[in-house]
Amino acid sequence: MTGIALHHYLALSAILFTIGVVGVLTRRNAIIVFMCVELMLNSVNLSLVAFSAYLGNPTGQILVFFVMTVAAAEAAVGLAIIIALFRNKQTVNIDEINIMKW
Amino acid sequence: MTDILTYLIFLPMAGSVLLFFLKKERVATLKVLGFVFSLLTFGLSFIIYFAFDPSNAGFQFARRILWVPSLNISYYVGIDGISLMLVLLTTFLTPLALLSSWKSIEKRVKEYTIMMLLLETGMLGVFCALDMFLFYIFWEAMLIPMYFIIGMWGGENRIYAAIKFFLYTMVGSLLMLVAIIWLGYYASTQPNGRFTTDLLQLYSIAPAVPLTIQTWMFLAFTFSFAIKVPLFPFHTWLPDAHVEAPTAGSVILAGVLLKMGTYGLLRFSVPLFPDATIMFAPYIALLAVIGIIYGALVSMVQTDIKKLVAYSSVSHLGFVVLGIFALTEEGIQGSIIQMINHGLSTGALFLIVGMIYERRHTRMISEFGGLANVMPLFATFFMIVSLSSLGLPGLNGFIGEFLILVGAFKSTYLSQWFAIFSSTGVILAAVYLLWMYQRVVFGKMTNPINQNLSDLSKREIAVLAPVLLFIVWIGVYPGTFLQKSHNTTKHIISVVKQYTQSNLTHSDTTR
Amino acid sequence: MLEQIVHSVKLLQPETALAVTFCVLLVLDLVVRRKSNLAAWLALLGLVVTAFFVLQQASSGQNSIFFNMLAVDSFSVFFKFVILASSFLIILFSLQSDELNSGTRRLGEYYSLIIALTLGMFLMTGASNLLMMYLSIELTSISSYILAGYTKEAEDSSEASLKYVIYGAVSSGMMLYGISMLYGLTGAVDIYGINRALTEGDINLMALMIASILMVAGFGYKISAVPFHFWTPDVYEGAPITITAFLSVASKAAGFAMMMRFFKVSFLDPTVGNLAMGAWASFQGFEWNQLLAAISVLTMTLGNLVAIWQNNLKRLLAYSSIAHAGYMLMGVVVLSNEGLAAVLIYFVVYLFMNLGAFYTVMIVANKTGSEDIEAYKGLGYRTPLIGVAMTIFLLSLTGIPPTAGFVGKLYLFAALINGKWFWLVVIGALNSVVSLYYYVRILRNMFLKTPERSAEPIQFSFAHVTILLVLLIPTILLGVYFGPLVEYAQASLVMFGIQ
Repeated sequence: MTGIALHHYLALSAILFTIGVVGVLTRRNAIIVFMCVELMLNSVNLSLVAFSAYLGNPTGQILVFFVMTVAAAEAAVGLAIIIALFRNKQTVNIDEINIMKW
Repeated sequence: MTDILTYLIFLPMAGSVLLFFLKKERVATLKVLGFVFSLLTFGLSFIIYFAFDPSNAGFQFARRILWVPSLNISYYVGIDGISLMLVLLTTFLTPLALLSSWKSIEKRVKEYTIMMLLLETGMLGVFCALDMFLFYIFWEAMLIPMYFIIGMWGGENRIYAAIKFFLYTMVGSLLMLVAIIWLGYYASTQPNGRFTTDLLQLYSIAPAVPLTIQTWMFLAFTFSFAIKVPLFPFHTWLPDAHVEAPTAGSVILAGVLLKMGTYGLLRFSVPLFPDATIMFAPYIALLAVIGIIYGALVSMVQTDIKKLVAYSSVSHLGFVVLGIFALTEEGIQGSIIQMINHGLSTGALFLIVGMIYERRHTRMISEFGGLANVMPLFATFFMIVSLSSLGLPGLNGFIGEFLILVGAFKSTYLSQWFAIFSSTGVILAAVYLLWMYQRVVFGKMTNPINQNLSDLSKREIAVLAPVLLFIVWIGVYPGTFLQKSHNTTKHIISVVKQYTQSNLTHSDTTR
Repeated sequence: MLEQIVHSVKLLQPETALAVTFCVLLVLDLVVRRKSNLAAWLALLGLVVTAFFVLQQASSGQNSIFFNMLAVDSFSVFFKFVILASSFLIILFSLQSDELNSGTRRLGEYYSLIIALTLGMFLMTGASNLLMMYLSIELTSISSYILAGYTKEAEDSSEASLKYVIYGAVSSGMMLYGISMLYGLTGAVDIYGINRALTEGDINLMALMIASILMVAGFGYKISAVPFHFWTPDVYEGAPITITAFLSVASKAAGFAMMMRFFKVSFLDPTVGNLAMGAWASFQGFEWNQLLAAISVLTMTLGNLVAIWQNNLKRLLAYSSIAHAGYMLMGVVVLSNEGLAAVLIYFVVYLFMNLGAFYTVMIVANKTGSEDIEAYKGLGYRTPLIGVAMTIFLLSLTGIPPTAGFVGKLYLFAALINGKWFWLVVIGALNSVVSLYYYVRILRNMFLKTPERSAEPIQFSFAHVTILLVLLIPTILLGVYFGPLVEYAQASLVMFGIQ
């Protein structure tokens, strides 16, 4: 790991996380929103692995496995719900999913 | 005998539980039962009246049961001279109110009677509670039946009036709750102290609270009571509630509920925080005087009789507050008797307005005129009650207002201008009441509909006569009532003197 | 090591019982093809067995199991009871819900998911490891996503579900980021280790603050605190009433339990000894409770103010539940056991009054098909029993004596006043006044207005009355006789790792 220090990883992770958050806030297609959420989770994974290597303790990497598994489960449920909604409304655009407001 | 107050408080509630199980179609039974229960309560309070020992300035018939051990809260009731008078007023007015609504309340009689009885329990609880937590529970719980009485059986704008009444009272009382809890914790910081809401213990603890904090505590309590009284800038809920409430509701509202505010001032604000009381006395008295004059002036321009009576309450209660904050024996005695007077005469005025409203379904002064010809009995009663309300010597109103003015004049805490300015209130009262009376009762019969009005029925006479009896009794021989509260008043004044912090430190050195 | 595992498994009996029930229900749904209520009764049986095991735990003292993954202590047991009681009641509600039982929908999965959700909440109450926190939050979240959209042919239900997933995923992502920062800062993932690292080491407070703000995103989402509340109104409105009621009580309780444990154990400064009457201190210069105080004020104020404009009762109760989360957060802010005890007391009270309000809404919706406030016009006369019950629940939610809600608020206010948080108490008190306004709006429609169209009384059965009374009696009784509840709550504040 010569040349690449912990803070590089952390900076990358922060950038990826921010991209993910911005994506969630701005994109209108539900599927892309989910991909952005995945991006957030993976940026966390990156920082966990980096911390783990830096601290020399494996807990962080174990966390990553769990996060990946849970993310998969969450994505599965999310996609199922999108399908259910698509059957009702024929759209996955978030702006059109607005029966309920304030 | 030790439990007699508990029986008194919960007898109306027992009645309402019984009524709950009756079929709502049995209107007559419901009415009679409700009336009987309120009469029984009155009878019980009569026993208490005779058993009460006026030479004892402390709390009598006290009963204390530990309720929440962890917070040291107890069910603690007892009465002294002040509470006695108000308990009697409550038990006296409730049956009259029920009787007065015999005809006017036709829908949902069952709910109505239950609410009135629950309300009576709440009011009696407020006047008897000696634990602040218990007091607060009754104080708040009583709002619910009153909300429904105004909201269900009131006039056109009843829903607005009911919620306004509820919200106003709630704002004040929650701040009071904060102050109560704070006081409880303050007690626990004392040597060997623990959390307590016991009023008697706090009487000796609270006056030692540092003045800056005492100021906040005093304001929190007083704000809550001032809304209830209502003191001048907080009075805006009152005309709405009074005008929209059904007759019986107005009678109870004016007769008893407003007294809860002045009672609270006398029971909590003044003796708990004597230093803050002395500090704020001129300001509160100023608000009271503004209330007296403002209420009178606004009454004068009303076109609706009920609204006129409602605003006159603001004026009359101003006198009561002035008397309390004069902090003299005459002032406080006058206030106590004036609370009773206002309950009787304003209650009677509302009854009279209700009777005329039942006949004509309007309360506009301009609709009437010359009623003396068709309703002579009505005119006579109306005359006496109006005169009592404006303070004619020989009737009850005079005694109260006179004592208050003397008290304010002699007060060492208030300047004499307070008494002088507030005496204009008496003159204005004569103006607006007599002017209204003249337009309604005298003169030519201008409106032909009024030709066929029937005079008072036997039931209506039965409602008004007892009130009249006391109006005259207090006016001619006030001693009967004054002696009951005499020692208690002396005691309060001595407490204020004794516990002001300058005296506290002083007596420490001499001891 | 083996010994530790054996010991741990013994203390995992309630969770095991729930997991077994879950599996049985899942298999049963595959085997039994016709529509029946068998699953519901089996689920209830499973809950009873679980309750039995939890009762045993109540006397087993304070333990930490699976190498500091989960704490089994009085604190978690208290919340387990709250959660069990609400799941039990929710299953009973579901049996009577027309919304769920209409059509040909089979409910085996539904009940199994309720059990899974309960399991997740159980784990949340005891979670003492960041990983366990994340996993238990995800277990509850994923189960509730599905449940919120269970009536999937209804447009608003699936919409609610989608919004829930998106907000949920984002918050858990943020929380995870906080977890990774905390791990990086302290090198530990269990809260005891974090506390030790914070006590010993020199930690960058700025980074710690950011990490805990990110953690709060996760907790805040579970307890629907502002500004993580956006999902709440939509999900509460769109989801079946039973699920809304469940989320508003149990899920919130679990979120609070986890949050209180995390903040108290991780950020407790052990060097500052017994301050006074069970008060404790957080690390020098790290005042996370100020952050929570701000969130609390925002939460209750926004919840109450927006609730005023709602006409759909489910949505109104959603905002009201946001406001109640704000009140309860006040108890966490004080940094004293008294405050935490107040939250515990409030939850018991809230369980009965809030479920009661939702149950009434459900009965009315069963009959009228509407959750709109207009449907309540004249209800007090059409069906006095329901009208009176709803009145008591609403007055209790407002906090008017002598109902249980008042006792809840009393203890919260008392804790705050003792902790000298006067401004917060005053804001709380004013908020109660605001809440009075919209609760009374429902009362007004029930009693002071007459219905526009002719409306018949709502029929209800013996079972309805029984459940109503089960909710109603504690709501009144706890307002008058609350000594034992208070003592139990105060005795339940013992968390593992703290004396």
